[in-house]
Amino acid sequence: MIECDVLVIGGGMAGWFAAIKAREQGLNVLLADKGYVSKSGETIYAGDTAVFDPDAGNDLAAWLEQVDVIGEYMNNRHWNELVFRDSRERLADLRSYGVQFEEKDGRVVRLPHPHANIVLPDTHKFPPTVSEVVHWLPGFPEKVRKHLIKIGVKLKDRFMVTELLLQDGRVAGAIGFSIEGNRVEVIKAKAVVMSAGGGGFRPVGYPTHELTADGHAMAYRAGATITSKEFVSPHSTNPKDPAWPPMYLFFSAGHSAAQPGMYSAPHLFNAEGDEVAARGVAWHGWIDAEYEAHEGRAPLIADLGKRGVLPVSGPGGHGSMFGHATGGIVPVNDDCATEVPGLYAAGDSCGTCFIGANYSGFGFATAHAAATGARAGLGAAAEAKGLGADGGIDEKAVAAATARLLEPLERKGGFTPNWVTQVLQNTLAPYFVLYVKHGDRLQAALSTVEFLRDHIAPKLYARDDHELRLAHETKNMILNAEMKVRSSLARTESRGTHYREDFPGRNDEEWLAWMRLKQEDGRMVTFKQPIPAEWRPDAAKSYEERYPMRLPNEVPGSGAPNAAGEGR
Amino acid sequence: MTIEKIDLDLCTGCGICIDSCPMDVIRMDRAGQKAVIRYPQECMNCEQCALDCPEEAVTVTPYKTVPLISSWG
Amino acid sequence: MSRGTSQVRRSFEADVLVVGGGLAGCTAAIKARQTGASVILVDKGFAGKSGQTPFAGSYCVFNPEWGDDLDAWMEQVSSIGESVNDRVWTELCFRESYERYLELLSWGVRFGADGDARAGVEPQRDGPPVGPCKAAMMETRAPSMTLRRQVLKHGATIVDRTMIVELLTSGGQVVGAAGIPADAEDAVDIFTAKAVVLAAGAGGFRPGRWPIDNLTSDADCMAYRVGAEITGKEFADPHHARLDQAASVMFGRYGRDPEGGGPPRGRFLDSDGHPLPPMGVLDLDLDRAVHAGHGPLFIEMPDGVRWPMVGGAAGGMSVHKAEGIRPAGTDCSCNVAGLYAAGDSLGTMQSGATYAAIGQSVLGCSVTGAHAGAGAAAYAARAGGPAHPAGADVERAAEAITAPLRRSGGFGPRWVTQMLQNTVLPYYVLHIKHGDRLRAALANVEFFRDHLVPKLYATDQHELRLVHETRNMVLNAEMRLRASLFRTETRGCHYREDFPVRDDGQWLAWVILRRAGDGMELFKRPVSAEHRPLTAGGVQ
Repeated sequence: MIECDVLVIGGGMAGWFAAIKAREQGLNVLLADKGYVSKSGETIYAGDTAVFDPDAGNDLAAWLEQVDVIGEYMNNRHWNELVFRDSRERLADLRSYGVQFEEKDGRVVRLPHPHANIVLPDTHKFPPTVSEVVHWLPGFPEKVRKHLIKIGVKLKDRFMVTELLLQDGRVAGAIGFSIEGNRVEVIKAKAVVMSAGGGGFRPVGYPTHELTADGHAMAYRAGATITSKEFVSPHSTNPKDPAWPPMYLFFSAGHSAAQPGMYSAPHLFNAEGDEVAARGVAWHGWIDAEYEAHEGRAPLIADLGKRGVLPVSGPGGHGSMFGHATGGIVPVNDDCATEVPGLYAAGDSCGTCFIGANYSGFGFATAHAAATGARAGLGAAAEAKGLGADGGIDEKAVAAATARLLEPLERKGGFTPNWVTQVLQNTLAPYFVLYVKHGDRLQAALSTVEFLRDHIAPKLYARDDHELRLAHETKNMILNAEMKVRSSLARTESRGTHYREDFPGRNDEEWLAWMRLKQEDGRMVTFKQPIPAEWRPDAAKSYEERYPMRLPNEVPGSGAPNAAGEGR
Repeated sequence: MTIEKIDLDLCTGCGICIDSCPMDVIRMDRAGQKAVIRYPQECMNCEQCALDCPEEAVTVTPYKTVPLISSWG
Repeated sequence: MSRGTSQVRRSFEADVLVVGGGLAGCTAAIKARQTGASVILVDKGFAGKSGQTPFAGSYCVFNPEWGDDLDAWMEQVSSIGESVNDRVWTELCFRESYERYLELLSWGVRFGADGDARAGVEPQRDGPPVGPCKAAMMETRAPSMTLRRQVLKHGATIVDRTMIVELLTSGGQVVGAAGIPADAEDAVDIFTAKAVVLAAGAGGFRPGRWPIDNLTSDADCMAYRVGAEITGKEFADPHHARLDQAASVMFGRYGRDPEGGGPPRGRFLDSDGHPLPPMGVLDLDLDRAVHAGHGPLFIEMPDGVRWPMVGGAAGGMSVHKAEGIRPAGTDCSCNVAGLYAAGDSLGTMQSGATYAAIGQSVLGCSVTGAHAGAGAAAYAARAGGPAHPAGADVERAAEAITAPLRRSGGFGPRWVTQMLQNTVLPYYVLHIKHGDRLRAALANVEFFRDHLVPKLYATDQHELRLVHETRNMVLNAEMRLRASLFRTETRGCHYREDFPVRDDGQWLAWVILRRAGDGMELFKRPVSAEHRPLTAGGVQ
């Protein structure tokens, strides 16, 4: 058994900050990652982070307005403000850890939001963006790793945590295994920070391939409330190199010649040669592209300017990694504590609803990860300090958790994780399940997912330590699938990246609310959490002003459609 | 995967393999001189083309790659 | 992006049109010709080499002179076929098997282990240890060209590489068919005939493996669309393959040398190394073992070598001679005038709820081919002058058939096929069935039918074939799912986890599907009283 004060699970941006901040409080901190800290998670693929700086002329009200409008009021303004206000300090922290940024004359170069300069057709006005980003230079994850080691954070690489251990209703540690040698270890901790990222359904390529919603799944099983699973982030790819990073398409028209340092987004054309209604260009998750396909206007091509044209195909089983920094474990205070005593959440694991129903600003995910990571680290440290002598962990509970962990290895046969994952992908990856949604199809998918949960998952087997990891990841993906499908079924309207063909309009009366879910008597239940009245859109504004972005098939200027889509 | 190759040095362009294929995988080239693998996705590995080819010009293996799933295509 | 209307059009006319050039189709063409009717045989591949016939290896032949006992043979089929075989057809096939066997010999098809069988001399015959039925070994592949030569020798015309897509009707009777040739772009072939024999096989969901991959239930679907009754769609025939050679179904399943043929030699083991019953209800027992968590399964050869296996090799194929267009009489006619069927396209229910005797499939093709050919020719003779489809109907059909070529986009047939496979191929949908899972799959299939199929597009004539095959597979999937939901019991190769026992009181009956407007109508037709087992009446 390993003992520590604070256990941090997952070593991306959020986990780094959590570990560093807790360690700076003089505590014994262990950072565990199923990969290798600095090579794991999505952070390493990010190129920038948003930094709010009043001294640079940034206006908080304008930044909040950007999130409101693009996030379609599903954002949490309180968290928006916290993260924006924290961001300058987090930038300073990163610099002090040795991370280098694009600088000029000794100052970090601030760049306007990439979409600010994209020219869109008149019929598809894009909301103004005011947020700004800074770029870090390559090699930053290694710099942070060095810093972590230097200050005495203990790193536990290639160690997959499978379950949180509870003692008397509070988190007292976790159990996991080294993925080489499947050595099971119990880590006793006074507080645990969950920062294991979000997750998809194992798409072909990076960056979400390794992320299987482990954090959400473990916290849910421990009793935490999970939020906003219905929003998706479908990244299209191309049929020629489907494993190519989906980001490729986002910026593939390259840096803008007219605006140095800026990106050009590709234009997207459908089979009829028409430009796809660019509601939000690549940025809004390509629901437009999904809808074009649904309407029978695929194949689509992306015009990359000088780089020619590229055929576009649907997300290769991204199966909706959700928008960063929206869904996840619901925090109950500004320290990112959760309803489970002793458990903190940060980064994509933390369901602050920061970005809302659409990805509302470049660099927001990393800014959110840094802010929530630091807060969770400090909160966990404070709680750990306040605790007296160590309590034990019930041996019977440990034995039971160990048995659950090793069960796939004990089984001689059953179903292989790879096959089950494939079946899950087959069920969820088609565009008509989690992108262009319909109650009938969601219900059908749910039947299959329930069968996988009840009959297949208990019979998963592993022949070695590698497959043991896969088996646990597959179980987590099945749970994540159930969360996504149930949330999608429950939200009977369309909003942001959640599009219901059978409820094609926004419904402010019913749905200015977050969709939560939790375990009750062993069953998953969904419930609404109303958004505070003062954060709702101004009813005096016209529908188009409140919602400048059109939903698929929504005619501009037609006024507010009701949720049943009448009057279209 | 499945049909791998038609050896153009050996192929005499007799067209037997085209008739042998129930899946329309093989066609004659534009000049009508040689058989070419046109639609390999549809190969079902029955090996009739290889077994019928008088020149043993066709190579078929029992391995087939499953197409990657995409959400539309 | 739309193309011009410079469509290539070929027209053909005959007394009898035979669709499909396997054993059933070739036999039907020859038998129709022997009555003097003019005959065209059309195949989407190359007649003779198309369908499953090239891969057949045994022919069930009954001959009292070799000591065969008809009652015992009948009992085997009723017992293994679980009393839902149609005893009229089972007996007819046995009784005519020797005559058909002699005819095949006379055409040049070779039987027996050494390929040297002669008329009147019993060839080497094999049978499973479960009963007395025996099958003569038949050379594989070579009969293809033998049959083709016979068709040509008898004076029938062969049209290769044209896929028939729709039947043409006039006044409620079938008067021809329309199809697409593979080798011309934007082309349609129109066939006018007094009678049509559908012998285009059965079909699965394109598992990517021979021998079933080219068969997409085209006949059942065309017939269904013109109102024919379809039966037996609930019975599944799960095949398996070796994991390392997953595309090679038969080799993996039997562990037999693909060159050598011959009976199965290996045995199946579960993950604990326990042997599984050999070929219980076809391979359904293997699916049950996997469902219970005893996978992976292995095939162990006599020399001790073990290969891991995978399921789904036949991709939704049904049981031979237990599904298809339900015949209205022994002339292989059906409820639609002018339409005949033979082979795997004909739902004689000769075999029942599972495959009841080795070699029964080839036998059924031979016998029903002969009956359908004669029946269609007789109908054509009675019909008098040619009944032509109305010009407007032909234009409509041609337009509808080629419409996918004129769509600039939509959904590619390979992708829709993949979606369909994802929905129906997992073992827990059509092999180990449950109402909830069947309904879930049906919801998807209905979406494919209503939303994806109408938007299928093709960029060339090859893809146009794929489009129509995909459309047929979607319809076939709907039939299989609905029939499986409808039969609320377990019997033979139809296994319902939620209704796990046989129910003789309710289900000594066939499930019949029929088009009713835009919907699918299902009903049951009881097995005739004198053919029921003596114990019938209670839940077993």
